[in-house]
Amino acid sequence: MSAPLALTLGEPAGIGPDITIAAWRRRGEFGLPPFYAVVDADFLAQRAERLQLPIRVTSVEPEAAAAVFASALPVVSLGMRVTAQPGRPDHSSAPAAIASIRRAVADVMAGRAAALVTNPVAKAVLYQAGFSAPGHTEYLAQLAQQATGKPTPTAMMLWSPELAVVPVTIHLPLREVPGRLTVELIVDTARIVARDLEARFGVARPRLAIAGLNPHAGEAGALGEEDLELVAPAVERLRADGIDARGPLAADVMFHAAARSTYDVALCMYHDQALIPIKTLAFAHAVNVTLGLPFVRTSPDHGTAFDIAGTGRADPSSLIAALRLAASIASGAPAAAASGR
Amino acid sequence: MANPIPRICIAMGDPAGISPEVLAKLLARSDLLKLACVSVIGDRRVLAEGETVAGVKSDIAVVALAEIEQAKPGKPVFVDLRHLDPATLRQGEASAAGGGFAMRNFREALLLAKSGRVDGVLFTPLNKLALKQAGNPYPDEIRWAADVLEWKGPCSEYNRLDDLWNARVTSHEPLREVPGMLTRERILCAIDATAAMLGATGMARPRIAVAGLNPHAGEGGVFGREEIDIIGPAVEDGRRRGHAVEGPFPADTIWIKARRGDYDAVLSMYHDQGQIALKLLGFERGVTILGGLPVPIATPAHGTAYDIAGRGIADPSATIKAFETLVALAAMRLALAAA
Repeated sequence: MSAPLALTLGEPAGIGPDITIAAWRRRGEFGLPPFYAVVDADFLAQRAERLQLPIRVTSVEPEAAAAVFASALPVVSLGMRVTAQPGRPDHSSAPAAIASIRRAVADVMAGRAAALVTNPVAKAVLYQAGFSAPGHTEYLAQLAQQATGKPTPTAMMLWSPELAVVPVTIHLPLREVPGRLTVELIVDTARIVARDLEARFGVARPRLAIAGLNPHAGEAGALGEEDLELVAPAVERLRADGIDARGPLAADVMFHAAARSTYDVALCMYHDQALIPIKTLAFAHAVNVTLGLPFVRTSPDHGTAFDIAGTGRADPSSLIAALRLAASIASGAPAAAASGR
Repeated sequence: MANPIPRICIAMGDPAGISPEVLAKLLARSDLLKLACVSVIGDRRVLAEGETVAGVKSDIAVVALAEIEQAKPGKPVFVDLRHLDPATLRQGEASAAGGGFAMRNFREALLLAKSGRVDGVLFTPLNKLALKQAGNPYPDEIRWAADVLEWKGPCSEYNRLDDLWNARVTSHEPLREVPGMLTRERILCAIDATAAMLGATGMARPRIAVAGLNPHAGEGGVFGREEIDIIGPAVEDGRRRGHAVEGPFPADTIWIKARRGDYDAVLSMYHDQGQIALKLLGFERGVTILGGLPVPIATPAHGTAYDIAGRGIADPSATIKAFETLVALAAMRLALAAA
């Protein structure tokens, strides 16, 4: 039997515990791969009680997780008590949230877990506890770099059966986007994407569609210079490397069904250029995949949702999709995951 | 009072793409032609080619430009300018001749509107490259139309997909210039205009959702301050004027709410913010409306589709929707003028 997936705690005051419990309860319905949660067992049992979703929680070592998965939610306990109440983040839970990430990364690097799936964290809580990485993904890259001794540039891919997108710039004010774009940034991001789609998703020669920055991809310079000066040269350089890249494409006509069938992933120049199409197409079941790490990492495409934590209203669809995709990629048969387009 | 019957002029667009065949399919719909007095401007031979491709035949009387008033509900007329022999044209290819053909037709239609002889203008898809080759200096159709109509007032482009409308505060501008162009006044003006446009279709108090500019609508100022400093206050201003307007909302999830019926219109801050979602949701059905001008102008949102031209498979849905929207807008305007 292949190794189980490691699922992190995330922010305990958020919906992470709720969707973890809900996903496990629906394991049969969705044919979920065995996973274990790296979390305080008592805390998880209490949340299940509060949600009136009685479940069995069993502390195990990763190697035993798959065997108990059918009858109990396996947890790898770290011996750190977690007491955060739903909707009320407090910094006392930050060390446990960080330890959960560290343990899960160690497991996946050691081969005890097949892939890493992360629940959403609350950055503000982690910062209070002395967390210094700019974000969740950057922290994973730091841990990977410590383990391998190699620099680990990453890219964020939002994946759904209908569409996969990678934003080249992410959480930036829109006014800062044009100044931040460079040929190198586009090329480096595209290289990570092409390499991981081939190595992990089993796409033999990934087809990259690269969006222009401006309306109508700048219309030959009439509507902005960046598409001629940055995006087009980046595409040229990628093609010279043997990467099947096309662009700059007009962003408004590259996401309808006929257009989507011509590529495997779309590289977008800014957050909403990527997020508008994927949220509009696949709101609840888009998965966040980190490319460039030495292991597979997926996460649900939403945040901690403090306002509905502990109420039972949290929708586990995205976590379920993240678990399934992680298993599919890790099993080495991910062509199925990338198909449907 | 019986609904007034508007006079609609259709300008034939680019002849090398699907424009002639979708027009032929529209003109074969006698049920639609009853809704207006329709005149078509172009070359009858180009329409004949479209009819052959579409497998339809329309019974349309050819008249001189001076005689378009002969058009009656269900009895359209064709103004044959005889300015393009389709035998000289290569299908699926942009050309100066094709661009010039479309330019002339659109100009004649606009001049009819300017002299008050028609109440609305529809044009079938144009090809930007062909227009450029023919020397068309305009960056988009709205500036072109405003120029021919000698219209100096505010006007803007709207898009409609089924019952959902989209308007935008900025349009064909480099993305880098968008943040600097956003002002509270400009956004308020767009809210007013959007409410007026939907009002012109008969909607009493349209519900408008306003998008933010930045990721997550700025997330409380962390990813940009325009939502706090400019867009939010403009939405407040709009509410004080009595509009049912809300926002700013994150642009990536606004369409989900709008599509499930929470809103009648989405106001976007820039071109692709609205166009990406609309074209993804219904590329074949979307309609573009040029609003704020002396007459309403409509066109299908899709292009000339050179890749499928001449095969008879072009979907006329958007052209039909554009026609229906235009008839409704023009009829409402006539009713208001008569009241």
